[in-house]
Amino acid sequence: MKLGARKTILLGIASAVVLTTAGCGGGLLSSGDSGSTAASGPIKIGMVVPISGSSAPTGAYMKNGAQLAVDEINKAGGVLKGRKLELMVEDEACDAQQAVASANKVVSAGAVVSVGGYCSGATLPTLPIFQKANIPMIIPAANSQDLVKQGLANVFMINGTGKQQSTTALAFMKKSGFATVALVDDNTSYSKDITTETQAQIDKDGSVKVLLNTSVTAGESDYSAVVRNIMGKNPALVYWTGYYQEGGLIINQLKKAGFTGKIMVADGSVDPSLAKIAGAGAEGVFATMTQTPDTIKGAEKWIANYKAKFSSDPGPYSTQSYDAVRLAAKAIEDAGSTKGADIIKALTAIDGFSMFSGPLKFTPEHTLSSGGFVILVIKDGKFVLNSVQP
Amino acid sequence: MTQLIWDGLFVGSFYALIALGYSMVYGIIKLLNFAHGDIYMLGAFIGFALLTSMGGIPASLSLGALLLVLLASMLLTGTAGVIIERLAYRPLRGAPRLAVLITAVGVSFSLEYGVSAVAGPNPRAFPVRLEGGVFDVLGARVSLPQIVLMLIAAGLMIALNSYIQKTSTGRAMRSIALDTNASLLMGINVNAVITRTFFIGSALAGAAGVMAGAYYGKIDFLMGFIIGLKAFTAAVIGGIGNIKGAMLGGLVLGFVEAFGTEWFGGQWRDVFAFAVLILFLTLRPTGILGERVTERM
Repeated sequence: MKLGARKTILLGIASAVVLTTAGCGGGLLSSGDSGSTAASGPIKIGMVVPISGSSAPTGAYMKNGAQLAVDEINKAGGVLKGRKLELMVEDEACDAQQAVASANKVVSAGAVVSVGGYCSGATLPTLPIFQKANIPMIIPAANSQDLVKQGLANVFMINGTGKQQSTTALAFMKKSGFATVALVDDNTSYSKDITTETQAQIDKDGSVKVLLNTSVTAGESDYSAVVRNIMGKNPALVYWTGYYQEGGLIINQLKKAGFTGKIMVADGSVDPSLAKIAGAGAEGVFATMTQTPDTIKGAEKWIANYKAKFSSDPGPYSTQSYDAVRLAAKAIEDAGSTKGADIIKALTAIDGFSMFSGPLKFTPEHTLSSGGFVILVIKDGKFVLNSVQP
Repeated sequence: MTQLIWDGLFVGSFYALIALGYSMVYGIIKLLNFAHGDIYMLGAFIGFALLTSMGGIPASLSLGALLLVLLASMLLTGTAGVIIERLAYRPLRGAPRLAVLITAVGVSFSLEYGVSAVAGPNPRAFPVRLEGGVFDVLGARVSLPQIVLMLIAAGLMIALNSYIQKTSTGRAMRSIALDTNASLLMGINVNAVITRTFFIGSALAGAAGVMAGAYYGKIDFLMGFIIGLKAFTAAVIGGIGNIKGAMLGGLVLGFVEAFGTEWFGGQWRDVFAFAVLILFLTLRPTGILGERVTERM
């Protein structure tokens, strides 16, 4: 069938219009409530966590913790009169572009709540995506102040914030008598946030002195420059606020260079691999961290359940992810619907919901009222609760 | 100050080892093998696999085991380089240079994500770590592992240089680099020599990979990417296609980075390194030891 040029163009336009309107029904182009407003069927819960890349192990713990909660809730009858929860996990790979693509996937699949978010640098750009779709976010791990500063109504953080971590760090420094400190970050949102906040709090307090506040580039092997710098200034404590790959290398190279002071890492470096990479220098390294399953009193039964289901030990942020899903289910139940606006209202109104980090009541900024940070120390290659707590 | 120079020299020798492979391949078939950095990563992972399969090694034998694994890894990585040449580059021998360049990028990605699929995306700790005595030399803290590694690197580079200058294969390499068609007419088996070039270049990168794994202790599937870029920079600085230039370029880049990070701070390291690359490409593209080659029509 030979069409003239004009007819071809008209046919093309017509088919484009038809296809667009057909796809428009509930797909990407619809804004507002993208949640499944259907009255029945499974309720999708989206989770954007690192599945690949260097933070992949933590992503696995978070996914498993959330799945544990989903299975428990479904076994107990689901929410909203028997509707089952369905966990949809996508990869953020601790990379902003990847996280944005995954967030879009989650939104267009019809998720009602988001319970993911580990790397703050990757989570930050997904905030406007979920906000535009009016999907509440319960963030179990990412805790940079940048997330709080956005001030978005749909964002709730159930991990201690960078500010609260800095407060704990400073309190520990004072209690242990570290008079001088060097702050080292890896130039990402989460990391820089902690060093900036710690520096600000230290300056205000006045009893500790910051000798050095510097950054390194992540992803390299050779950190001789920062090691030289630290050795030159010779602080009593080095506070590393980046992730465990670089942290392990820096600890190892500091030990090789003969550093005699102590080292403390922030919660992003708390991972069993830190000790493996750091080698002999890992012994005695401190960490500011929110409660992990093995440091929470009374979590033994939960740990046993996790082990039975996933045949491995739970790791950092598995309890927070578990609580995030439970919180989401409670909010949906309280709201009585899957509409984003209702769930957000229900979350803001929650008072005294029991979680592993204590009874929950959100502050006006949608963060935890108390950070729940403790000090861990590496003994025999594993993180355990330190004897001295601030 | 001496600490700076020593640190620069140490990092520079890694860059030099890998830049050698770059320069050799460019010199002989005018191909910028962007997959070369990933050959370095492959070498590190092969070394890791060999060492873990050997089981527990007592500390006294660790250096010996490491040298053995180094040789084995060099052989295996060299073979991998030959296979890559045969599969990816030889079919494109007559194609426009852009096509081969794109293929090289493709090989780079395949290697990276292939290793990630096989060995997992998480970084691994190298089972044998080099620990050793530390000496104070003129104010710089010098450790025995650093000296050993630099000696190995220097030894490999000297061996390569004498190979290129004194053996007939080396002469063949140099003549192919000058004029491929004339070499063919002279009866040189061009294909065999190119294969040998890839083998040697990849073996050197593999050696650097194992040494980096043993010294720094951590390997991951993306470690070759940035090192490949730095080695390319080093090769350009020294004069791409020139063996001695690659060695010099590596050391120069090591110094540039050490001094740059000292003056500006750790986060400026890559900025400094690549700014120097841009500077060289704009002002002196032939590099320090390169010469402008006139083409007679």
